[in-house]
Amino acid sequence: MNNSVTLAHGAGGRQTSELIDRIFKAHFANPLLTADDAAVLEAPKGRIAMTTDGFIVSPAFFAGGNIGKLSICGTVNDLACMGARPLYLSCAFVIEEGYPMDQLEAIAAAMAKTAAEAGVRIVSGDTKVAGKGQVDGVFITTTGVGEILEGVETSGASARPGDAIIVTGDVGRHGCTILLERGEFGIEADVTSDCAPLWGTVEAVLKHTKNVHVIRDATRGGVGTVLYEIAGQSGVGVHLDSTAVPVAPQVRGVCGMLGLEPLYLACEGRLVLVAPREEAEGIVEVLKTCPYSANAAIIGEITETQKGRVVMTTEVGAETLLPQPGGELLPRIC
Amino acid sequence: MAGKQTAQEILTSYDGPKLRIMEVCGTHTHEIFRQGIRRLLPESVELISGPGCPVCVTPVGFIDEAVLLTLEKGATLCTFGDLVRVPGTDSSLAQARAQGGRIQVVYSPLDAVEYAKNHPEEQVVFLSVGFETTTPASCLAVSQAEKQGLDNFSLLTANKTMPSAYRALKDSVDVYLYPGHVHAITGTALVESLVEEGVSGVVTGFTARELLTALAVAVTKAREGKPFFVNCYPRVVTREGSPEAQALVARLMEPCNTEWRGLGVIPQSGLRLREEYARFDARRKFDLPAIRGRANPGCRCGEVLQGKCKSTDCPLFGKVCTPQHPVGACMVSNEGACSAYYQYGM
Repeated sequence: MNNSVTLAHGAGGRQTSELIDRIFKAHFANPLLTADDAAVLEAPKGRIAMTTDGFIVSPAFFAGGNIGKLSICGTVNDLACMGARPLYLSCAFVIEEGYPMDQLEAIAAAMAKTAAEAGVRIVSGDTKVAGKGQVDGVFITTTGVGEILEGVETSGASARPGDAIIVTGDVGRHGCTILLERGEFGIEADVTSDCAPLWGTVEAVLKHTKNVHVIRDATRGGVGTVLYEIAGQSGVGVHLDSTAVPVAPQVRGVCGMLGLEPLYLACEGRLVLVAPREEAEGIVEVLKTCPYSANAAIIGEITETQKGRVVMTTEVGAETLLPQPGGELLPRIC
Repeated sequence: MAGKQTAQEILTSYDGPKLRIMEVCGTHTHEIFRQGIRRLLPESVELISGPGCPVCVTPVGFIDEAVLLTLEKGATLCTFGDLVRVPGTDSSLAQARAQGGRIQVVYSPLDAVEYAKNHPEEQVVFLSVGFETTTPASCLAVSQAEKQGLDNFSLLTANKTMPSAYRALKDSVDVYLYPGHVHAITGTALVESLVEEGVSGVVTGFTARELLTALAVAVTKAREGKPFFVNCYPRVVTREGSPEAQALVARLMEPCNTEWRGLGVIPQSGLRLREEYARFDARRKFDLPAIRGRANPGCRCGEVLQGKCKSTDCPLFGKVCTPQHPVGACMVSNEGACSAYYQYGM
């Protein structure tokens, strides 16, 4: 077999079968993934949640993960935010002609490992090869189906005045990692993406209490954008204690140099939770026992006043507005 | 912790005469808004955002010159990103790019030299704006281009010297907050001598604590009623500044009259390349005509920069002029007063 992907690998013939056997079947094998035209699946008992996401991150390999891991985490985490246990995933690849086979294999291996961790099965897939220059490396789209746990009703429109706002770890690591990997600023810092599958985290919280109003994963646009979305959707205000927001010192340093706000840098393994005040400490205790949320913290509260806005207490104790989200700083962050 | 509270207590308990303190520097403006520092001050202490954001004081005519260079002379412009969206008389650089102008965003003038080296078929012009902090880098770029024998690199200069602005604005201000990074280059001898002309000021750094400390020092000294100068940033700023940077700039550049948006022409407040370096001066190299830009007549950026009105007093503010669609330069850069008011105002 060639050591790079050719157009023949996407032509549907013998070489396509070879590629599928060697890379995808080898890593994704499970009883539900068959050679038939569609996967045949047992319907879950409860309501289902479904989501889809495309991944075009550049570079495809970065400190803390690669596009494969990201493509599983992104979809699993979107399901988790609805309180849904991820069950099934499909994945569609668009690969550039000439893409190195060993890199494709590393991507598939990361997908398999992450899917196993999240307890989700890859049941369907597709591979297309595009000519040199028609795509950049590899693009992946994943679609996921999950079963919503009984009694869970999370929505961005459900935040209530008095609720506490929790973030599950330090913010801005993924965005900062990608920014540094691109090497455009000539800055080096030891930053690793927070990219992680979070169903285990959400499940632990929901086992402890189902009294959670909002769960959102802070991806593009970061925690700041999520907070503005919640304020808008729920028709409430958000009050943030800026000193309570966990930020890794390296990320703070890079942001300081480039004049960036860590709250607006993308995360790929962080959730924002909104829950009644009396539940907040208990939730944080649970989060601290989970592998990806040891630095969980209460960072603010939902307010009746200042509807649609995010107001911040700064390090000198003054109040100021968190500037409105201005759109993602970098293209192709995920 | 105790120190911070003390500075804060000094400020909140200030009951002396009304004080107008001007933060000259755009980085100070941004940090003061970001930290909500204005809200900690008593009513009698007013902070004015001065003309220290290089983008904000760059006149409309400079943008027009740049647009002409790329659209009519075919030059490739290398620029800091902030300038791309500043409106010119008819067109911003972003609009010029849409019409086919070649515009590269760079993070340092040296990147522009590198670009010129890699694209010998293009004429590359770096848009050299800024104060004492960025001018040495522009000079270094010219010096490197000269060493490498590049004949396709030049500067369109709008470099300005900060102390000229201190003098020009001294009647609108009681105390200046001097920018630490400017004085790390220039030293403090000049502002110390301004005390004899009745101009008071404090040099400070850029963190919330440094700013609060400097403000507390300013109100305490102001109460004594005599002009004063205090260096609150001694770990970075010395009396002499950086002789290397000063010598580099003096070797390549000489003072000239220059226009500041909103303030008009301040004599000898600008820098241009010396005659020996004329071949690196885009105005001379491309024989640019004198251009007088026209700003939007409703825009009050000029008065904002002099502390004569607040951003919110401008009829365009937040209505037709927003960070997404800026009319005036003060709305473009993150360091501009109008942008700060828009983003952090409550």
